[in-house]
Amino acid sequence: MPNFTKGTSPVVQQALKDLEEEPKTDYLNLPPPVRYEDIQREVMMALKPDVFEGLRFEITRPLNQNFFLTHSLFMGNLELPGAATGSKQMLKVPVGTYEFGANLISEKGHFALGRITTDGRLSGRLKYDFADWLSSRVNMQLSNEAGQSQVMGDIDVKGKDWNGQLKLGTPQFLGLNYFQSLTPSLSAGGEFFWLGGQLRSGLGLALRHTGQQHIATMQVATTGILSAQYAHKVTDKVTLATDLLYHWASREATATVGYDVTLRQARLQGKIDSAGVVSCYIMERFAPGINFLLSAELDHAHKNYKFGFGFTAGE
Amino acid sequence: MGITSSKADTAPPPMPNFTKGTSPVVQQALKDLEEEPKTDYLNLPPPVRYEDIQREVMMALKPDVFEGLRFEITRPLNQNFFLTHSLFMGNLELPGAATGSKQMLKVPVGTYEFGANLISEKGHFALGRITTDGRLSGRLKYDFADWLSSRVNMQLSNEAGQSQVMGDIDVKGKDWNGQLKLGTPQFLGLNYFQSLTPSLSAGGEFFWLGGQLRSGLGLALRHTGQQHIATMQVATTGILSAQYAHKVTDKVTLATDLLYHWASREATATVGYDVTLRQARLQGKIDSAGVVSCYIMERFAPGINFLLSAELDHAHKNYKFGFGFTAGE
Repeated sequence: MPNFTKGTSPVVQQALKDLEEEPKTDYLNLPPPVRYEDIQREVMMALKPDVFEGLRFEITRPLNQNFFLTHSLFMGNLELPGAATGSKQMLKVPVGTYEFGANLISEKGHFALGRITTDGRLSGRLKYDFADWLSSRVNMQLSNEAGQSQVMGDIDVKGKDWNGQLKLGTPQFLGLNYFQSLTPSLSAGGEFFWLGGQLRSGLGLALRHTGQQHIATMQVATTGILSAQYAHKVTDKVTLATDLLYHWASREATATVGYDVTLRQARLQGKIDSAGVVSCYIMERFAPGINFLLSAELDHAHKNYKFGFGFTAGE
Repeated sequence: MGITSSKADTAPPPMPNFTKGTSPVVQQALKDLEEEPKTDYLNLPPPVRYEDIQREVMMALKPDVFEGLRFEITRPLNQNFFLTHSLFMGNLELPGAATGSKQMLKVPVGTYEFGANLISEKGHFALGRITTDGRLSGRLKYDFADWLSSRVNMQLSNEAGQSQVMGDIDVKGKDWNGQLKLGTPQFLGLNYFQSLTPSLSAGGEFFWLGGQLRSGLGLALRHTGQQHIATMQVATTGILSAQYAHKVTDKVTLATDLLYHWASREATATVGYDVTLRQARLQGKIDSAGVVSCYIMERFAPGINFLLSAELDHAHKNYKFGFGFTAGE
């Protein structure tokens, strides 16, 4: 490289020195990227806490190292859109459900989880790795009512610096996605989906940039969505994240800003968005294995307020 | 010779001695009877007010359950005057019939209420609250003398026909008390309560509603002991109610309540507890209509309380949960 340092500012000289010292990018040995579905995962974990309304009570009971049962009780309100009952106001109906679950997890990373509720809805997830580079997953939601059941199967193929996925589902869903590392910090990819029943299809492109303290992603899709996310790890206890979602067909945009703080005894997540929704979620560890949850969501635009608390016992 | 009488002859004869040949239990009971101070029927303790007959039981059995979030701050400005800020965001229930469906429906609401309270050392007070909906409520209390006090309770609103004012005049005697209540629209009430023995008191009430041309008469009885309070009330409105509260220890009170409507032949029984711990106060109850409720007030720090409230109505499948904070005394 020619010597540019004579006659330039100290900032430029420092930048050029860093450039020489930085290890050269070996484009044949790029690290494998995350899966296409997980591009936005860090940001979603900070910005989409599991807010609920009412009481939630969960017990997790291990029977042996690989098998555990879960008992889940939820008593709260379901929302009926105002239009359904002919009034503008949001209406809520109280419901109570009990869900029993059984989970089998093997050391190699295979698992089979099942859940059944008192309404008769059964949901299951299976994961099986055929080889290092080939794994499959099945996700099922079955119900007594006609037309309410859904099954989705994935096959993941993992290469050295790329990964691809094929998704097949009912009724008549086909999806394909591919993600590739371009540099050690930048990866890009695309996806395609087709819905037979409604005769819709779409194409999407995504970009992801990771640094030591940040993750930035951007996605564009032919369904008319442009989304950008940024998550910044301020310290190892505090993460700040922000999200912008733009529908170019209806020219509507929503921006969200949120935080995720992990303290010794508690985990706090909160967010506020441009549609006037403020939400907060606290998980506090009262004793080893016993967590107390508090959840609040205030939608000032629609004057809809949801509050809930709960307990989870077991790991 | 005339008839002579002397004071000694008019005194009652001494009690015969029954202790010979009776069991030790009877002997102990007779001994207690002799040692117990004789009831001085001219110096009975004053009874509680008629409105407060059921107060101990109600405090244990009717905790302030709510649904949603409640946030209250109490701020004293000086010794006698303090402000309250009260925020409530939760659900109001619409009876199913109003919207044409059998299920209970809830509508979310949010209200902020500002209050000002003036309390004097002599026990007079003036409290006012106003909400963002434009509803103003006020309570005034003034004691004219030791034996005569008055109270006014007002709930005013912008909407027509929604305002209500109720005034009371309390007269307190040595072992009795009486009250006159006048209210809008066209309400007249009268009640009287008298101590019969140091532990038993009885009384009655009468009310008249002009607008609906209804009137009623009620009778009440109250028995207190060192560890219990039992009350019973009968009214011509068709209600018979009985309550019992038992103070098991100074931290735990158990209470029960029976309400019987003899016109519709329906009865509801409730059992509840009230436990006061160092850092928390727990109240719970279960009743025969299938309603279970629980209320916890936990003291996180001096002046800061955390509330948790739950009410499960299994019969109607209606579940209400709430949490909140109160700050200040």
